[in-house]
Amino acid sequence: MKLFVSEGNPHCLKVLAALEVSGVQCDVQYVNHEERVVPFLSRPALPALILPSGLHLFSSNAICRYLFEISGQDSSELCNQWLEWEATDLQPALLQALHMAVLQGKGSEVSKVLQGPLNYLEQSLSKGNTPYLTGEAVSVADVVLWAALYPVLSDSSLALGERTSVKAWFDRGAVMHSCQSAAQKVLQGKGLQGMKSYMQRQPASQSSQCRGTQPCN
Amino acid sequence: MALRELSSLEKYLGLKKPNKYTTQGDKKVPVLQNNNGPPLVGLVTIGCHLVKEAKRPKLLGDSAESRAVVQQWLEYRVTSLDGCSKEDNKTILKDLNLYLQDKVYMAGSQFTLADTFMYFGIHPLLVDLAIQEKEQYVNVTRWFDHIQHYPGLRHHLPPVAVLRNRIYTSKHH
Repeated sequence: MKLFVSEGNPHCLKVLAALEVSGVQCDVQYVNHEERVVPFLSRPALPALILPSGLHLFSSNAICRYLFEISGQDSSELCNQWLEWEATDLQPALLQALHMAVLQGKGSEVSKVLQGPLNYLEQSLSKGNTPYLTGEAVSVADVVLWAALYPVLSDSSLALGERTSVKAWFDRGAVMHSCQSAAQKVLQGKGLQGMKSYMQRQPASQSSQCRGTQPCN
Repeated sequence: MALRELSSLEKYLGLKKPNKYTTQGDKKVPVLQNNNGPPLVGLVTIGCHLVKEAKRPKLLGDSAESRAVVQQWLEYRVTSLDGCSKEDNKTILKDLNLYLQDKVYMAGSQFTLADTFMYFGIHPLLVDLAIQEKEQYVNVTRWFDHIQHYPGLRHHLPPVAVLRNRIYTSKHH
């Protein structure tokens, strides 16, 4: 089993964090953004995990879920739901937010772009009244969402405002320590600017712009 | 669209009592009101729930590896395939064609939920293809034709004509 990651790629932050939290042993190789690890994909896709059978996983969420499962933690239905939401709702908004903050220097507009997803997260966390997304313990959903949001939430210019439940969840220690060391590896202590060369290669999607500004629930 | 897919999936799984769904947001994300707990949201989440309800866990994969591969293609369906542009379509078909060249099903040698949802998602792309283009994506067409003939699966979708004889004889392996 071998994991391929690249510096400055926010999706790689998720899998490195999941590797730390799950405690799974795995070879990790750092490659260039443009490296085509998955032979059947036209565009470079990182992170990528080569499974013992030789099959490739190219979705960061599927990789995280797999790492948790082989360490003995199956994902629940609620967990599935968060992972699907992360991929379909949060990621398009995040891509747009990072594009603005990293490439266009419009960090001040990030809060507006992320308003819908963050409000949804705030509502769910305050309604659920549990320390973590799916209950009393850390699940793969916490790690994936935490790592996805880390680059924007750790930047001091992007205020969470009144979202106290999101803030309390984000600051909770259990996920934080593992994720911070993963973040250090991916962002090299450069914060949002650590993602610049990665973001320059991402298309700024028009459709994600409309989606990002709509409230998502 | 998503609701018809879920209703076709229910029929395929042989679930006796059809569920009631609503949608939320401008993307019309399906929502299942669940008697035993909070509602379930999202096509993939509900699809996996129905499979569990029908006690057919193998449809989600029979090992940790195949479960990961199934989840990956389910996610691919709702992120890359849904709402992609005409230009993206070509890349998607090209990539899938390469992926499927040594596989019978999306997760390898076993039929899973990934085949069901990828089939529903690829259908609008294949309907639009000219014959020559279908031949260009011979592995996708072969897989697609196999799935559309899978007993009890097609339901809400019309069959797509595939020229089998030419596909199987035009290439040397």
